[in-house]
Amino acid sequence: MAQISPLGKYLIGLEIRWHRSRQINAIYRSLKLVFPVILLGSLADFFDSAWLQKTGYYYQTLDVGHWSWPLKVLRAYFRLVSAGTLGFAAILLAFAVSFYLVASVTPHTTDRLIAGMTAVISLKFFNVDRSSVLALKPVQWLSTNLGIQGVCIGILMGLLVGNGYRWWLQRESTVEENLPRTLTITSGWLLLMAALGLLWISTQTVGLNVAFASIVRWPFKLPHFIMGLLGFSTLSSLLQWMGALGPLTAGSGQTIETAQNLAAVLTHSGWQLPHPVTLHTIVTVYTTMGGTGMALALLLAIFLSKPDALQRRVGWLSALPTLGNLNTPLLVGLPVIFSPILAVPFLLAPLTCTLISWACVRLQLVPAVAYPLANGTPGPLIAYLGTGGSWSALILAIINLGISTAIYYPFVKWFQLARRGE
Amino acid sequence: MRSKRTFRSFWLILGAIFLLCLPGFIWRPHQEAHVRANYRSMFAPVFLVPGSSATQNRFNALVKELNKESGTKHSLLRVEVMTDGTLKYSGTVRQDDMRPYIVVGFENRHDGTENIENQAKWFGIAFRALQKTYGFNHFSAMGHSNGGLVLTLFMEDELAATHVHADRLLTIASPFNLEEQNPTVNTPLFNRLRANRKHLPKQLVVYSIAGSKTYTGDGIVPFDSVNRGKYIFQKQVKSFTQMTVTGANANHANLPENQQIVSLIQQYLL
Repeated sequence: MAQISPLGKYLIGLEIRWHRSRQINAIYRSLKLVFPVILLGSLADFFDSAWLQKTGYYYQTLDVGHWSWPLKVLRAYFRLVSAGTLGFAAILLAFAVSFYLVASVTPHTTDRLIAGMTAVISLKFFNVDRSSVLALKPVQWLSTNLGIQGVCIGILMGLLVGNGYRWWLQRESTVEENLPRTLTITSGWLLLMAALGLLWISTQTVGLNVAFASIVRWPFKLPHFIMGLLGFSTLSSLLQWMGALGPLTAGSGQTIETAQNLAAVLTHSGWQLPHPVTLHTIVTVYTTMGGTGMALALLLAIFLSKPDALQRRVGWLSALPTLGNLNTPLLVGLPVIFSPILAVPFLLAPLTCTLISWACVRLQLVPAVAYPLANGTPGPLIAYLGTGGSWSALILAIINLGISTAIYYPFVKWFQLARRGE
Repeated sequence: MRSKRTFRSFWLILGAIFLLCLPGFIWRPHQEAHVRANYRSMFAPVFLVPGSSATQNRFNALVKELNKESGTKHSLLRVEVMTDGTLKYSGTVRQDDMRPYIVVGFENRHDGTENIENQAKWFGIAFRALQKTYGFNHFSAMGHSNGGLVLTLFMEDELAATHVHADRLLTIASPFNLEEQNPTVNTPLFNRLRANRKHLPKQLVVYSIAGSKTYTGDGIVPFDSVNRGKYIFQKQVKSFTQMTVTGANANHANLPENQQIVSLIQQYLL
C-alpha cells in the first residue's frame, strides 16, 4: 500500500477533499438513499427488456414466447415498477439533496422535510405543460424525462433550493420550531421558483428536463470518423458521470446506415458492409459492455481489488443489471457519479476500446456488426452475435474487456483507499 | 483467507458471464433465420403515389399539412420514373428521419389500363432502387385515384419477390373498376386485380376512402368503382376498412387536401 504513484496520491487527496465538501456530501448521501429504488427499477427494466420484449436477448435465445408466461401482464407490471422507480429518480434526488443540505444546519425535521418538498415542487414548476398554463386551462404537469436521464437536473434543483433554504435558515436561526419562519421561507422560495418557472415556460417551448434531454442526445449528430467516434464516446461518458443516466440511444441506435448494412448482409452472400465504421458498429458494440463507460470492466475490477463489505455488496447487487448492460445501479451505488477518481477510467476505458476496435475494423481484422443487437446481451457476446458468429469479434470484445478492467483496476484501488481515508 | 474470498467473487462473476452467454452460443445457428423473419428496419418510408396526370409534386401541400399537424417534420423525397426506367430525384431524406415520405410520379402519367399497368412496373423499378439505397424492409403506402391501383398492382405482382413487408395501404378514391358507370360491367383491370388477389400480403392493413360529392360518386369516380375494393381485399389481407367522406372538398381532385382525409391519413397510415 506504500507504493502509490503521485497521480494516485493526488486523486485520493482530491476525492477526500471533494467528499468532505458539504455539497458533494449531500449528493453522495442522496445517491446512497435512492440506491435501493434505482436497483429495483433497473432489475424490473432488465427483466422487461431482456426477458419479456421480443427484442430481448433471453426472449430470443431461450424462446420465452413459447413458455406459458402471461407475457402481457408481466410486461405491464414490470413497466409500471420501472416507471414508479426509475421514472421518479430526478424527483427523489431533488428532494434528498435539498433535505441533506438543510439537515446540517437545523435540528428540526420539519424544516428538512419542507426543504425537500420545496425542491420537488420547484422541479415541477419547470416541467409543466406550457400551453395549459399560458392558455389559462387546468394546469397539466409533465412527467417525462424526470427519470434517470434527469438525475442531473434533479440534483441541481436540490442544490439550488437546499442552499437557498439553508442560507435563509442561518439568517433567522432560532432554537425552537417556528411556524411563521418556516412559512416565510417556504412561501418565499415557492413564489420565487414559480416566477422563474413561468419565465421559463413563457420563453421556452419545452420543459426543462426535455430541453436537457435534447442537449444530451446532441452528440449523435457527430460524424462517423474516428474523431467523431472518440468525441461521442467522451461526451456520453461525461454526461453519464454528471448524472444524465440511462441509454442515450433511442431505438437501439438504428440509423439508415445500420439498415443498409443489414440489408447488404441479408441480400448478398459474404459479409461486405457499405458502412463498416459507424457509432453503432464501433462505440455501441465494443465500448458499452455493462452500459456506458464499460461498467462491466468496473465490476470486474471491483471484485479483483479486495473490496470492503459495502462495495462488494453494491457490486453483487448491481451484477445482474450490469450483465444486461444497465449501468445505473453501479453508477449510483458506488457512486461513480461525481467521483473524481473514477471519472478518469470511466472516460479512458471506452476511449481506448474505441481506438482499438476502430483500428481492428478498419484493418479488416474483424468484420463489422450488421445484425440487430438484442437488448440485454451480455457485453462480450454483443460483437459475436452482431457479426453472425465471428470468433475474431468475440476475441476483440474479450481483449477490450480485459484492457478496460486493467485500466479500472488502479483507480478502483485508489477509490477504496480514499474511502478508507475519510 | 480474505484474498481467497475476493477472488472467488471475481471467478463467480466471470462464471456468470459465461453462463449467460451460453444461450447465445446455442442459439447462434438459428440467428440468420430469426433475423430474416422478425427484423423490421427502423427506417420505414411512406410511399405516396399520385393519380393520373398529377406529377410527383402533387403531394407537396399534403406533406406540409401532415408535418404541421403531427408536429414532427418528416422529409420528402420525390422520384420521377421516366418511360425508359431511369429515375429523377428531387428533395432529400434527412439522415435521422426514419419515416420519410417518398412520392413516386411517372413521366407517362396518362390514364388508361395499359398506362396504369406500365406505371405499376415503373413503380417497381423505383421501389427496388430505393430499397437498395435505404435498406428498409417494411413500408406503408398511400395512393390517390389511379395511384391506389398502381400500388395494388405492385403488391400483387412484384412485392413478394422483394422480400419487403407492406404494413398499411390507404387508397383515396381509387377506381378499382375504373370509371365504369355501369355496376354490372367488369373492366379487364378489375378482373385482373381480383384474379391475383391471393398474392396480396396477408399482414397488410388496408383502408379505402371514397369521396361523395353526389350520391353516386365524387364527380369523376363512381362510388361503385371504389366500393369494388372489397372484392379484392376482403378476406385476403389482415383487415380492410372502407370509409366515405362527404362535405366540402369531397370532389375527386380535392380529396388529398380534404381536412377529414388529412386526419384519416394521420390516424391510420402514420
